Amino acid sequence: MAGFSSFSIFFQVFINGIFLGCMYGVAAIGLSLIFGSMQIIFIAQGAVMILAAYCIYWMVTLTSIDPFFGFFVILPIFLVFGWAIYKGLFQRVAKAGKNPSLLLAFGLMVLFEHLMSLIWTPNTRSVTTSYSTSAFGLWNINISITRLIVSIVALIATGFVFLFLKKTMLGKAVRGVSEDMRTAALLGISPSWISSVTFAIGIALAGVAGVATCITYAFDPYFGFLFSLKALIAVAFGGLGSVAGALLGGITLGVLESLSSYIISAGWADAVAYAAFLLILVLRPEGLLGRRSAERT
Amino acid sequence: MVDHLLQVKNVDIFYGDAQAVWDVSFYVDKKKIIALLGANGAGKSTLLNTISSVNQPRRGEIIFSEKSLVKLKPEEVVAVGISHVPEGRRLFSRLTVLENLELGAYPKNTRPYLKESLDRAFNLFPILKVRKNQSAGTLSGGEQQMVAIARALMARPILLMLDEPSLGLAPLFVSRLFETIQAMNEEGMTILLVEQNVHQALEIANYAYVLQTGTLKMEGQGEELINNSDFQQAFLGMMG
Repeated sequence: MAGFSSFSIFFQVFINGIFLGCMYGVAAIGLSLIFGSMQIIFIAQGAVMILAAYCIYWMVTLTSIDPFFGFFVILPIFLVFGWAIYKGLFQRVAKAGKNPSLLLAFGLMVLFEHLMSLIWTPNTRSVTTSYSTSAFGLWNINISITRLIVSIVALIATGFVFLFLKKTMLGKAVRGVSEDMRTAALLGISPSWISSVTFAIGIALAGVAGVATCITYAFDPYFGFLFSLKALIAVAFGGLGSVAGALLGGITLGVLESLSSYIISAGWADAVAYAAFLLILVLRPEGLLGRRSAERT
Repeated sequence: MVDHLLQVKNVDIFYGDAQAVWDVSFYVDKKKIIALLGANGAGKSTLLNTISSVNQPRRGEIIFSEKSLVKLKPEEVVAVGISHVPEGRRLFSRLTVLENLELGAYPKNTRPYLKESLDRAFNLFPILKVRKNQSAGTLSGGEQQMVAIARALMARPILLMLDEPSLGLAPLFVSRLFETIQAMNEEGMTILLVEQNVHQALEIANYAYVLQTGTLKMEGQGEELINNSDFQQAFLGMMG
């Protein structure tokens, strides 16, 4: 790093944090959507991400198709996958209350982790391409091309979800159900249909985050749990039920981790992230951008 | 009374093991305003929720236009032509007024009329057009009640059920609200009105049923009830 001024190093770290944060953000949006319709933290979100990462790892090693093509493969498959998980498992279990659903999510996480370690061994994997290490310089900082593209994909995915929720009747119904399921039903909106839609989108977003992860980071079957936690923290930062908030929460978290591993040391990044999480919960439980929930009469 | 639009016949309703409604029967006729009166806990809201299939009756029948509602899901009841404005309005407070209204037209058979229904809603409550891009949670109580009613009308119902629409509203708003209900009725809307505001409800209702702790105590036209001494003792005295 000789020759870099400390300011450009700082800036470099900052940019890396944003790239990392975009991935947290996408996973967080999925988590937040599922929470909206089912009122549970879908703890298996990270495991689903890593499952997507392994699928792409397979695709690349077996067929040498470019990993970026994986976004187009994973998106439809994981939409259907999410739909099937809801219809086959959660729809029934949700009737018994939140706790059974939470246990089911936990069970799914353990199942996915062990299946992945059976199929792909617990060794760390990564997906490399001829251009994995390419970067271009901009004002004395290195910008990794893969990370840049991955972040742009993450932003585009976020944009689509945002537009879906704001502009379509189905998206508005998703927001309505997340606020008041019973009233939504009185208006003719079927809560179980809406839950299946949000589950499908949430899982598809986990898939997108997984593809992004495998292109930019090394991973193993148990890496996902950490991602679930990080996505949860991102949601807490941004405030539940806000897409933009979840993305910004993810980016804030990414930057925070990146800066603390540069300023203090890498081992402290998680500690700082969790400390910030606790602080937010104590001082601003509605999130940095969240509104205090409106009074109901 | 031949033309029954809605028939509630001998229903028993339970919450878990606790019975809330005992053997209640009543009828709602086309283009009438029917009031369900009674104190808190008399079972009025429970009955509306059962018509909407939020609760299931343990015994009895609920028939709307010759179709049984008992096995339907809440989201299917709207499609047969019954809109329910729940107690406390229950708007989606984070959604805008316009989005709340749009969701009112969510059922497939009403979506093609979205524009027309919106125009009608804004005609009925012009202030909502001004407020349409505000989130519903920021409105005053009276405006929120307007949104709740307008949202229910977006589904183009045959029967509109209003649960305590005057609750928590300023007196001026209350009389305007009752005028609006009457105006909607004059345009052909059948209305089932649950109210604690007995006087004003009886003024506009064609017929009223009085509930007390889950059983039907009396019924009759407004004048009859107001002049009935049992009724006076039970309600008017208490209500001042």
